[in-house]
Amino acid sequence: MHFLAISNDILFLYYVLSNVIYLALLIVAIVKNVRHSHRLGSQRLELMKASPFTPPITLIVPAHNEERSIVGSVGALLGLEYPSLEVIVVNDGSSDDTMEKLRQAYRLQVARILYIADIATAPLRSIYRSPLDSRLFVLDKEAAGCKADAINAGINAATSPYVCVVDADSILEKESLIRIMAGVFADPGRVIAVGGIVRVLNGSRVVNNQIEEVRLPKSAIEVMQVIEYLRAFLVGREAWAGFNMLPIISGAFGVFQRDLVMQVGGFRTHAVGEDLDLVIRMHRRLHEEHRSYHIDFIPDPTCWTEVPTDLKSLARQRARWHKGLIDTLWPNRDMLFRARYGRVGWLVLPYMWVFEFFAPIIEVVGYSTIILALISGVLSKSFFLQFLLFGYAFATLISIGAVLLEEMTFRRYSDWREVARLLIYCLFEHFPYRQLTMVWRLQGIWQYLRGDLQWRSMKRVGISTEADA
Amino acid sequence: MESIFNGIEKLGPAGLVLQSILVSLLGIFLLVGFIVLRRWYRARYFRRRNERTVALRSHWDEILSGKISAEDWRFDPLDCNIVESILLDSIEMSSADKLPPLLDCLRVSGLLDMRIYQARTSRGWKQRTALLTLGRTRAVEAIPALAEGLDSRLRETRIAAVRGLGRTACTEAAIPILDRILTGQFDAPERSLKNALVNCCRAHPQVLVNYVEHANGPVRELLARVLGELASPELGEELLVLAVDPLPEVRASAARALGNTNTPYGLPALHTLASDPEWFVRLRAVVALGQIENIDKIKILVRALCDANRHVRQRAAWVLARMEPQLEQILEDVVATRDDYALQSFVSELERSGAIEKIVSTFDGSDYHSDETTLMEVVTQARNQVELTGKAAAVAAGAH
Repeated sequence: MHFLAISNDILFLYYVLSNVIYLALLIVAIVKNVRHSHRLGSQRLELMKASPFTPPITLIVPAHNEERSIVGSVGALLGLEYPSLEVIVVNDGSSDDTMEKLRQAYRLQVARILYIADIATAPLRSIYRSPLDSRLFVLDKEAAGCKADAINAGINAATSPYVCVVDADSILEKESLIRIMAGVFADPGRVIAVGGIVRVLNGSRVVNNQIEEVRLPKSAIEVMQVIEYLRAFLVGREAWAGFNMLPIISGAFGVFQRDLVMQVGGFRTHAVGEDLDLVIRMHRRLHEEHRSYHIDFIPDPTCWTEVPTDLKSLARQRARWHKGLIDTLWPNRDMLFRARYGRVGWLVLPYMWVFEFFAPIIEVVGYSTIILALISGVLSKSFFLQFLLFGYAFATLISIGAVLLEEMTFRRYSDWREVARLLIYCLFEHFPYRQLTMVWRLQGIWQYLRGDLQWRSMKRVGISTEADA
Repeated sequence: MESIFNGIEKLGPAGLVLQSILVSLLGIFLLVGFIVLRRWYRARYFRRRNERTVALRSHWDEILSGKISAEDWRFDPLDCNIVESILLDSIEMSSADKLPPLLDCLRVSGLLDMRIYQARTSRGWKQRTALLTLGRTRAVEAIPALAEGLDSRLRETRIAAVRGLGRTACTEAAIPILDRILTGQFDAPERSLKNALVNCCRAHPQVLVNYVEHANGPVRELLARVLGELASPELGEELLVLAVDPLPEVRASAARALGNTNTPYGLPALHTLASDPEWFVRLRAVVALGQIENIDKIKILVRALCDANRHVRQRAAWVLARMEPQLEQILEDVVATRDDYALQSFVSELERSGAIEKIVSTFDGSDYHSDETTLMEVVTQARNQVELTGKAAAVAAGAH
């Protein structure tokens, strides 16, 4: 009985604290987003494009078995509006026709270009250039079994001061590069990396690898992910970046200073969450060197990506994300509560340990002890129901807050029926989807403890792109 | 030990949790209500704006000429906003000869005075919007109000003022910016300053020369960078003075400027800068040499191809590989240096530019003079070497 009472007290405090943090993040994000959308009103992209001071950028596209979408994706990337662009596709030992499709579509020719592997990677087979577009290079390398290795090869070959990593199966909006670089232009001396927003592509109409009409997906499991993405990016990342504590820049879309990435040794090969790992190592290094820096998040440059459509793929993805989290937090545990790592060591990393990594464990313990307390009479039924209702109402409030942020700023879902659907799904997100996520994250912890760090592929429906009439 | 739960429960039905539930539910209803109301309001606003835009557009010539009095639209906030937007968009797209009637309309209607007043007296977002709008008007009388914005204690407002001044694209607008940055105390992002100065000084870059002479340290570097971007042949000897500046960043900017001017005196100066002790000055000099049309630059570039710095070598190779009619001669010169790094960089860049096939086919189609056969062998060896070097480097790195 005594144990149950203490356990419930701890859980109660944990729950209140996590909700207070979420609420604070939501408020900060609303303020920051509204300010940013005001600023956008006076941002003249055409002036940025014409400016002689706009630095060149290299897009790195790691591709492994992407034969279905690679040609269209590369075409779309070459069509991005940016004055000085280089696109490096890294074929990471694909066993399908990815390389052949690229070879045919862009008439690739072998180019014996000097390639200096400043960052260790699996051996390169060849470098190709395209006579059709001098900005395109393709690195054909042996598979290392991880995306990080492919990105590192691209970084080695890049010739620009900034690199942008983009997934081959994602779609960038035409102006997204110049928009994300606006974050760098604001303070090039300090801003060393910028993340953009990743949105759910499922359900939208795509013409020639460009989003023609934004729509919500049809199935509930995909709509739930739309809400999750909105909450994670528009609330979480926006708010953390406001305090210069952004712990992650999505591997699907982010810009980094190339020299700095090289200084920290590139993306860690075989890291499960290579994007999180890189950003934490950058924080570590820059704090150790006492450098003034900023890692920013900008909510308007958009990358559209396909999310899992079935429970099995979603379970794999969530388990992998959680493995990635442990895989980064554990090697960097020495940063915790160390003065030299500033607010990263004192706030964001402890937050990630307590409210991200331990969350599924605490949640499952919580469910068990509360039920036990209920059965044994330590907790009254009426209070239990009240508490349950509060938890549900508060979590729904945060989710609706994320939808509100979207409404107040970027309004990608222009049809009111789509917004109504989003709001309705906010009411159903916390049962049973949340509990399923908890189980998948627990699976991730179990797999990590067993040493199972395999990258399990996700079932993809593929972008149904229509050709322009 | 008493549980927190019990303590809270003792509060009774009006307890904390119940209150929290009510607050959360109220929050949910408020948020949903706000979203619905906002949607409704915006739809109504845009419909009205659309209707008024059509109505105002149909009388646009009369509004512009003053036949329709400004009083008819100035005091309706929506109409006023629409007319101002159309005027500003037209000003941005107009050539100099079509500008006067648009500016007259702004002046006569009092829109310009209203914005000047807002820029001087408002605070926060309203002031910043006024500053940016004033910049878009390109009106000379807006410059004093914009200049006052530079003295704001808020950084965002100072940035808006800098951007506003830049958008006027008048040389006069550069002066307040230059005066302030010369003090070394003016805090605004370097990129905003550079862009504003480039816009304002494009027609008369000479304005900058005087300021560069009086500036020191980072300010001198910044101004030199802008000058490097705008340099014209008329600047002449001033650029040569900068080429021997003690600050490496200024020398690098001078190299950039000399590349832009493409004058006969540029080559000797760039020759000197290509041997500068700082690698990035040498790099800029090599880039600038790429812009100059003078066959004598080949020797300097071939020497730069043997530079100790990889970036300088790569850039020299980039420039040389794009000098198409002289490629064979350049190749012979590069081979004659007996520098493997130089040869590999050059061959690698020929591959990148696609010119290697042309060179190889030229050798293939020739009568196999002994020299050319040797050259062909050297190129083939170098190509293989580049490939091997890359693979070996990757394998070696992978082994770590």
